[in-house]
Amino acid sequence: MWDWEVKTKQPWFRFGIRELFHYKDLILRFSKRDLLASYQQTLIGPLWVIVQPLLTTLTYVLIFSRVARISTDNVPPLLFYLPGVILWNYFSECLNGTMGTFQYNAHIFSKVFFPRLTVPVSQVLTSSFRMMIQLSVFVAIYGIYMLNYDLGVNRAVVLLPVSLLLCAGFAFGAGLIISIATAKYRDLDTVLQFVLRLFMFAAPVVYPSTIIPEEWKWLFWLNPLTPAIETIRYAFFGSPAFSLLPLLVSVFSVGILLVIGLVIFKRNEVRVMDTI
Amino acid sequence: MSDILIQAENISKRYRLGVLNANTLKEDLSLWWQRKRKKQAMVNVAGDSYFWALKDINFEIRRGDVVGLIGKNGAGKSTLLKIISRIVLPTTGVVRGRGRIASLLEVGTGFHPELTGRENIFLNGNILGMKKKEIESRFDEIVDFSGIEAFLDTPVKRYSSGMYVRLAFSIAIHLEPDILVLDEVLSVGDFDFQQKCLAKIDEISKKQGQTILFVSHSMQSVKSLCDTVLYLEKGRLVAHGDASSVVSKYLLRENAYVSIQKFLDKSNAPGNGTIRIHEVEIRANDQPVTGVIDTQTDISVRFSFWNLSKGHSLLSVNIIVINFLGEGIFSATSEEVGFKDGLIHGICRIPKHFLADGSYVINLVFFQDKRHILFEFNQSLSFEVKSSAKPLNTGRWQAPVRPKLPFTFTQTT
Repeated sequence: MWDWEVKTKQPWFRFGIRELFHYKDLILRFSKRDLLASYQQTLIGPLWVIVQPLLTTLTYVLIFSRVARISTDNVPPLLFYLPGVILWNYFSECLNGTMGTFQYNAHIFSKVFFPRLTVPVSQVLTSSFRMMIQLSVFVAIYGIYMLNYDLGVNRAVVLLPVSLLLCAGFAFGAGLIISIATAKYRDLDTVLQFVLRLFMFAAPVVYPSTIIPEEWKWLFWLNPLTPAIETIRYAFFGSPAFSLLPLLVSVFSVGILLVIGLVIFKRNEVRVMDTI
Repeated sequence: MSDILIQAENISKRYRLGVLNANTLKEDLSLWWQRKRKKQAMVNVAGDSYFWALKDINFEIRRGDVVGLIGKNGAGKSTLLKIISRIVLPTTGVVRGRGRIASLLEVGTGFHPELTGRENIFLNGNILGMKKKEIESRFDEIVDFSGIEAFLDTPVKRYSSGMYVRLAFSIAIHLEPDILVLDEVLSVGDFDFQQKCLAKIDEISKKQGQTILFVSHSMQSVKSLCDTVLYLEKGRLVAHGDASSVVSKYLLRENAYVSIQKFLDKSNAPGNGTIRIHEVEIRANDQPVTGVIDTQTDISVRFSFWNLSKGHSLLSVNIIVINFLGEGIFSATSEEVGFKDGLIHGICRIPKHFLADGSYVINLVFFQDKRHILFEFNQSLSFEVKSSAKPLNTGRWQAPVRPKLPFTFTQTT
């Protein structure tokens, strides 16, 4: 029997998970490299991980809460925006990292073989690491607010990992598909960056889901980011918008997206080398 | 009986050329729109531009073999290695294999310039499929072989290209894959390191039974190292068999060694207003060269040229012998002579036992008054030297020249 085969087409359903596991040291090393490299020659270095979401949140407090006077469901604005910002950042970082797989590694990919999935997986890992730090900052700030406000964490906090996995899975699945598309069509990247900016406003990042009109709610909740963010808000602030059904629907749809993404990626990962 | 490690069946690779290879969605959409509007008209124009980089390649490689891949530039060597390495897909056919394959198609791919040599050993090792523990256990060997201990903690962006090759090759060769695929990576290193690498290739294939597939332009190293050789020409496999017969075929077909060049028409000969080349020839023992020159024969370089410099200058001729790596081995300049215009013949003799085994190229340079270059006739001749005697114990000559020099000895106690 043969150990491996190179054919004219790659098989439909072989994700190479075992192979990926063999390369786990490489995944970790890529992540470490990206983390270290991103803070080289910067003024405050790793502190950016914390400062960046805080600055964004402060901007939102100023614009959306103070100026535009959008409701925050009676939660202190700073506290209200922070988890949304963190999850949105996590989503967009994962997505950007994943969709750039071929664009930014074409040179290496054309010269050496290793499972291409190691690159997006390590990107998600790097983003997860940053997100964890940001989330602990949120918890710390939450603790400070607890002294002065009537706040309390409820049982739904056990769903927190589900929220995070939804964000990462959504970004990863979509990113895999886009990475193949942008390998062929480079200008797609510009379009998508624009779409991504708009997409933030389709998720309850800077407003609560309660302000969405009734007739659009079904569509709004189909976006996996909506239940992801609202679950956290419910767990920490008891936000009224939460319900379990959309969360389950999203778990299901993100699962399907992941499978589609993996199939498209694995089927095309070598083929796109001809067009890059 | 050694078993088959790689089996290639009917491998072809087709690349598209021209307009169809649009890189932006806008271009593709407009192309699609044009085609839709003009119906069939556009399709044929674009559909013609194909190029077969490889066509119907079949071969098998056995365990423990060192296989050379030879052919001119653009013959499809790199494409074949890329298909075997799973970097591109073949258009037709299938490659089957056993065991782990590691390829080094370019020097230092995956090196991160900001990281130190030490960190890059780990990064590159991981990319080539080694685990952290495996790298740690071979770390000292890798460093030792590369000879860059002193620069281990320097970012590789400060390395010279030679150090880059040393490090990259050391990592790959210590991986111990079942199959090691090497594109022309060795041609970058210096002579010493080359010899060291070739010796190492020989060692790991013989002692550890590793299979090595490598591209080389040095017929010398192909012949001394390889068990079998694949010879590609314009994407087709024209020969596959034992090293010396395939190499001979290659040299014959490609006319790789030029032992004589003659130009009868003065106006079309290489040269300029002052010098025109008439004839250059390399001779062994004053006989025309028919194959590889033995180190025990005298070599002479004969040249004749038309002097058109109107006779008011002193001419000297410089002969430079270059090895297959492009490094000058020696340079010899003639006395200055004042010639009248006309056809001038010259001979330069290279004594026997002077050049070590290898392939060489000769450049001829004509000087005026030892200062101005009148004309350079580069790559005018090429030849290969091989010794019939075994070199001293190491199995390889340690230096490009090995002149017979007088030694004297005295004993004091």
